[in-house]
Amino acid sequence: MKHRILAGIETEYGLYLEGRGAEEQIDDAMALVRGYPGECFSGWDYRYESPRADLRGFKVERLAYDPEDAKFDAGRARGKDHEVRSDRVLPNGARFYNDHGHPEYSTPECWGLNELALHDCAGELVVLRAAKALGAGVKVYKNNTDFHGASYGTHENYLVPRRIGFDALYKALLPMLIVRQVLTGAGKVGSEAGAKCDYQLSQRADFFAEPVNTETLFRRPIFNTRDEPHADPREWLRLHVISGDANMIPICTARKVGLVKLACHLAEEGSAPSWKIADPVKTFQSLSRDSGPDFKVPLEGRNWTTAREILESYFAAAEQTLDMDDDSCWTIENSRLMLESLQNDPAHFRSQIDWAAKRCMLEQFMDEEGVKWGDPQLQAFDLEYHNVDRSESLHAALEEMGTVEPNPPEKELVPRLTEVRESTRAFARGLAVTKFKEHLRGVSWSSLTFEIAGKFEEVELSPTAEYPQQLRDSVDVGQFVSALRDIAT
Amino acid sequence: MKIKLSDGDRLTKPMSPGPAKKLGDESGPTKPEISKPGGGNELLRRMKKVDPDQAKRYRQRSGE
Repeated sequence: MKHRILAGIETEYGLYLEGRGAEEQIDDAMALVRGYPGECFSGWDYRYESPRADLRGFKVERLAYDPEDAKFDAGRARGKDHEVRSDRVLPNGARFYNDHGHPEYSTPECWGLNELALHDCAGELVVLRAAKALGAGVKVYKNNTDFHGASYGTHENYLVPRRIGFDALYKALLPMLIVRQVLTGAGKVGSEAGAKCDYQLSQRADFFAEPVNTETLFRRPIFNTRDEPHADPREWLRLHVISGDANMIPICTARKVGLVKLACHLAEEGSAPSWKIADPVKTFQSLSRDSGPDFKVPLEGRNWTTAREILESYFAAAEQTLDMDDDSCWTIENSRLMLESLQNDPAHFRSQIDWAAKRCMLEQFMDEEGVKWGDPQLQAFDLEYHNVDRSESLHAALEEMGTVEPNPPEKELVPRLTEVRESTRAFARGLAVTKFKEHLRGVSWSSLTFEIAGKFEEVELSPTAEYPQQLRDSVDVGQFVSALRDIAT
Repeated sequence: MKIKLSDGDRLTKPMSPGPAKKLGDESGPTKPEISKPGGGNELLRRMKKVDPDQAKRYRQRSGE
């Protein structure tokens, strides 16, 4: 394995205010983000954003927009785009903003799976603190659906070498993105499109229309081709995965990211297993509705296999062809343990997998209260599983009972609201916010712009460079900029 | 030594003709092989407090 993969997770949270609706949601999300009570910097630099660029080498003229949402905006004017988005950069290098009416927390980029899962949890604290500051009766959900046909994403981002190429990445990733839901799905009561069901593994499956395209709001694909690397485009591409769910169990988050990293490494090595899955979109959706435990996957040519065999083929390929780091070894070991538990130790399986934990919770209630599938309160329970307020969350109740793996304690999370422990470029971004905010004029994922003695100075943040702790010792902004430039070269 | 794997066909099985249950047509999982968690007092207390119509009222804009 030639390099570590820098990764981040961006989560759009569901937002509910008593007496308010989707028409006011953008205004409410703006107010929530702007009211974040912690230290932050306002001034995102949009120059390097290009959501219409496609990995396949072209640029689409426009991105599709949900026609239902268009109705909400009729006759409303909200100011300039950057004012609506209300971007905030936090001292931990994260980005917090309003995205289409959803408070969105983008974690700082991380090398390690554990660190990323911790920052994903810290994001829940950020959003909850902003919600509390907005007032009583504000609820925030870390989920991906409103049960009425509107979905919002939890996207993963992986910085990988561009030389891998679209074809190799697509072939290596597509089967993994389809089957990993068995080990990473958040679970959902009911369906919003396609075949009816009582319960399914994935919150997002109903919303995919195509195997591959660059859309994210409408006609969503399993494999998204947005080409916005946030790094030197000659060298890097950012794999933008939009087909995953928001996980409440942190080890599920780590596994979700670890599995995709494994597929990326295999794509780079040219040793990813080759699977020809019949009708990928239909298969994603049928697998989501499968009762298991075999989780059959139809292949082209009237063959079939199972999710376990597909996953195992990735693990075997990795063991045979990669020089694996600790995270890759952990991903394989933990995933195998879960696949084994699915067959033989269901209590262990549901302790680490959101869809199974949620389903068991619902069935317990149904048994005790004589409720049947189809009862609307089951969707209310589904929603409240994802409530980020731990005093109300059903997931937090399961955690208190010892039914699911515990979340990291607050003493692990709170420091991560204001600091970065890995030597990533997020560390430099965070320092710019905490130490040199009065000079800071613009922040993007890949650059910082300062004003020094009336002159604008832009510094590139290399995604692969090591940013040492000694940067904290910079006595002034000039020395800081100089040190960053030395690192970049 | 690095070994290149052949394609996944070696791991596949032939589809039996006319499967009894067509993929995608299921009504969803019916009875998972999972036992119930113990000691549900706190969980049940919270579930009883949930407004049963909360999801009905919950409407969101589409995000990404």
